[in-house]
Order: sequence, then structure tokens, then C-alpha cells
Amino acid sequence: MKRLSFLFVIGLIALFPVVHPSPYTLHIATLIFIWAFIATAWSYMGRFELISLGHGAFLGIGAYTAGLLFNNAGVSPWVGMILGALIAAGLAGIIGFACFRFGVIGDYFALLTLALGEITTLVLVAFREHTGGSLGFTLNKVEPSLWALKFTNKVSFYYVSLAFLLAAWFLWIVIDRSKMQKGLRAIGEDEIAASTLGVRIVRYKLYIYMISASVTSMGGVLYAWYISYINPHTLSGVGPSLDIAFKSILGGMFNLLGPAIGSALIVILEEYVRVVYGAKFVGISQIAYGMVLVLLIMFLPRGIYGSLSALFKKMSGLSDRK
Amino acid sequence: MTVLILNALVNGILLGGVLALLAFGMNLIFGVVKVIHMAYGQSVMLGMYVIYTLTEIYNVPLISSCLIAVIAMTLLGGLMHLLVVQKLLTANRLNQLLALAGLIIVYENFAQVIWGADLRGIPVFLPVFNIGEVFIKTSNLIAFIGSLVVLGLLYFFLHKTYIGLAIRATAQDVECARLMGINPKKIYLTTMMVGSAMTGVIAAFFTPIYSVHPHFGGSFTMMAFIIVVLGGMGNLMGGFIGAFVIGIVTSLTGALASIEAAEIVALIIFVLVVLIRPQGLMGGKQTR
Repeated sequence: MKRLSFLFVIGLIALFPVVHPSPYTLHIATLIFIWAFIATAWSYMGRFELISLGHGAFLGIGAYTAGLLFNNAGVSPWVGMILGALIAAGLAGIIGFACFRFGVIGDYFALLTLALGEITTLVLVAFREHTGGSLGFTLNKVEPSLWALKFTNKVSFYYVSLAFLLAAWFLWIVIDRSKMQKGLRAIGEDEIAASTLGVRIVRYKLYIYMISASVTSMGGVLYAWYISYINPHTLSGVGPSLDIAFKSILGGMFNLLGPAIGSALIVILEEYVRVVYGAKFVGISQIAYGMVLVLLIMFLPRGIYGSLSALFKKMSGLSDRK
Repeated sequence: MTVLILNALVNGILLGGVLALLAFGMNLIFGVVKVIHMAYGQSVMLGMYVIYTLTEIYNVPLISSCLIAVIAMTLLGGLMHLLVVQKLLTANRLNQLLALAGLIIVYENFAQVIWGADLRGIPVFLPVFNIGEVFIKTSNLIAFIGSLVVLGLLYFFLHKTYIGLAIRATAQDVECARLMGINPKKIYLTTMMVGSAMTGVIAAFFTPIYSVHPHFGGSFTMMAFIIVVLGGMGNLMGGFIGAFVIGIVTSLTGALASIEAAEIVALIIFVLVVLIRPQGLMGGKQTR
């Protein structure tokens, strides 16, 4: 039943451009898919109490690897995406190994990754001969094709980003059914107890961090290609890093759909305020967003979707799994 | 070359004094209230805007607007404590961190809505003087001396007054402090207010040096973190020494390589300290 209704909703979303082919709605929907993809990737590890506040680093690594290869050597973004994902996984491997080996967890891990995101931005800015510094760079104009991830209409990108989001959800389910998930959950609850039971703490955490990092870097490529412009401050650093984390937390990082719902809410809210009240009031919507976030973390740490679905489960008499 | 290094060294020491004050507030709050004030640099940013608005738009004399900014930041800190931090005291550390990081969004966008994204500064022209070939900006020197004076006053406050004693007692052992008739709730509020007053003082010292913009605070929050962690979280003396280490290191790297390199080096020091010596250079016991 649950699976059926899920497929039904996906079908509706897939048919949506046929029924209502307005470029503006498609643009918003594409943005939502891309951010939902990134937020879902973040939640792979976020839901096991591994809060990274530096995922902007991987976003930037993906976008810059693919973007620089594309502009300077004409390499397809698909190849760039894979290379970027490998680099991101490598970096996550090094940082993660150092952190988990020395037992850096919780708020120290969050702070360390925050620094990592900032270091990435600074490195990108410092190599300004190649990266264009703070101004970033625009992607070269080429003949539209799937190979170059450039299309003449919005519909194609809508489907590409939707496919990516579905793949991210699929990976979530794969992780959820793996032995690793059980191990990580045990680690999240009590690390020392888990280790005495033979759970491979360092290895599992490292795997999930590397997976999350490489998927996030793919999201970076997707976002960069969608807006055709790469800038160190919108793709890495403290701002986007916190943004990714907050989108997931707002929706609820413990549920499959939570990060997507959080991203959708924020993208729609920003867009609504911008269109209805003008650019100056985007700040006001951001203030409201910040306040809602603080309140949510204080009173509903499981996020909007997470808390609502827990409530529904309680009301329908089913016991909550977690 | 030697002249360049000598200049960088002197400026690093001057910067270190200001950074010591910057880190002191965050360190005090961490030591007593046990929360990491993520929006610390953002409070400095708001303080600078208060000074800008009063001096440039309402023509209040600079000194009085600085005093008003200190009072305003103290009140803001108190308000923040009552509304947010107090309710998070029992939450886990990660949630405290995230909630306070949420405040960054609130503060930065508040500044953006009210003052816009442009750089705002007060044209204060202070002379540059030189000793031999070493050039010193008067504004930096004022900030340095002022910071040391304020730090001295804080030392006096913490060691010679009853409230200071109560704050130190609460930092050491909340339960024992409670048994001695200290109300930790009041002490937390006082500490938050004292720590936040520091952001106002720093704003006053920064006004002649920097122009402010809504994202001004981020790098200073980061700097304060780096220093606090380097010196050992909650260790005030360690933070004082750490500030000079970071001030000199960033100033030298900035002069020899680039400004980005200076920040990268500071951040790498932070990462290494968290990994290898989480109790900080001066810390005694494991605190992670």
C-alpha cells in the first residue's frame, strides 16, 4: 500500500511537465530536486549522529572538478562528475580516517568539518588564475546534448535531476537494508558499547562518510550545470554547508523523505517571498527561516516531516520503530 | 625582507591583542555556560552596525555610540540567553551547536534587511607612525592597548569581585557552586551578558579598522574558535597565549604568501589541534 502510493506520487511528478509545461514551475521543481538530492546525501550520515557542517567542501570539489575539466579540456560533465566524486571520496577518506581514528565525534566533528568547508573555499579562491577567485566562472557555451548535460528546454533537466533524486533515494534504501546500517545505528546510540560488540566503528563511519561525500559532489555538478555558473561562495564554505545541514534537519533527517521535504519548503518559501515581496524581503524570509530552525532544533529535533510522521504513526496505533 | 617580517611580526602582536579579547568572551561562555557561541562574530558585526548607525545617521559622538553599542550587545546577549540558550542547556551538545548556528542566519539576514549588503564604515582618520622602518597604524595600537586594558579589567572582575568568584566557582563545579548558595541560572545569564558585552567592546575597537558588511562576522567566529580550541576550551590563559600565536602566524603568512594562505594555515592548525591535542596546547586533561 505504502509502496503503491509512493509510486503513484512519483508517477504524478514524472507526468507533471506534460500536464503543466510552465518553465517557471519546472525551474522551481528542478531546484527542489537538486537540493533534495544534496540534502538526502547529507542525511546518509547525518541520521547516524555524524553531523557534518562542511559538506559545502564536497559540493565545491564536484562542481570545480567537472567545471574546470569541461572548460579547459572539453571533458564531459559525466566524466567530471565521476572524477569529482572520487576526489571527494578520497578527501572524505583522509579526513574521516583521521577523525574517526582519533575518536573525534559529535560537536568536535561538526566543528572540524566546518573548518574543512572553509578551507576548501579559501583554496578555491586562492588559485584564482584557474578558478576565477571569488568571482567564479561561467561554463562554456556548447551545442546542447545529454553528453554535455546542456539542453534546449527545461523539461530535460527536470527529468535528469528527478532521476538523480530517485537514485539517491534508492541508495538510501540500499544502505538502510545493509548490515552497515545496523552497525552505524548502534554506533550512533552508544559508540563504546557498539565497539565492544565487535562493530567496526572506524570502517563503517568511513564508508558512510565517503558515500555521502561523493554523492554530494555529484549534486554540486548538477547544481553548477543547472545554473551554468560556478562561484566559491554559493558552492562551498560555511553558508552552503550550513544550508545543506539545515534543509535536512528542517525536514527531518531520520526519514527518507524528510530532507526532500525540507529542501522543498525552503526553496518554495524563498521563491515565494522573492516573487511576491521583492528581493529585499528575501532577507526577512531568511530571518523567519532561521528562527523556525532554532525553534525546531529546540522543540522538534526530528524535523517537520519526521515529527509529523511519528505523530501519524502514534495516532494510527503503530509503534514507532526508532 | 627582514623589514617585511619585522612589520608583520609587530602587526601580528597587535592583532593578537584584539584576538585575545575576541576569544576571551567565547571562552568565558564556553567555560561557564558550556555552550559554543556560534554567532559570536555575528554579534560583533551587529555591534559595528549599531555604532555606524548612531554616528553616521544620528550624529552621536563616536565614544558615546561605542558605549551604547556595548550596552546594546550586553542586552542582546541576555535576551539570546533567556530565549534560546537557557532552554538548550539540557539538550545535547550538537543541538546546542546547531541552534546557535541557526542564529547566524537570523543575525546576518537581519543586518542585510536593515543595512543592506554594502560596506559600511565610519571615516576615522588616524595617523600611521613609524619606529625606524616598522610602520604602526594608530587604530591598531589603540585596539591593542584597549584590549589589554579590558582584559585586565576582566581579570580583576573575575578574581576580585563576588560575582567573578561565583562565575569561576560555577565553571569549576555547578553542583558545588549550588551548595555554596550560588544560583547557576543567574550566573549563566551574567556570563552570557559579560561575554556579549565583549562583542560590543570589540565592535568599538574594530570600527576604525574595518568596514562592516552582513557577512563580516563569519571569519571572526572562526578565528575565535581556532584560538579557543588552540588554548584549550574554557582555559582563559591558554586562549590568551593562543591569540598571540594565531595573530603572529596569520600575520606572517599573510605578509609572506597571501591572505587566503594565512586563513588556511590558521584553519589547518585548528584541524590538527582537534585531531591530535583536543585538550588544547595549554589544557591539562582530556576534554573531548
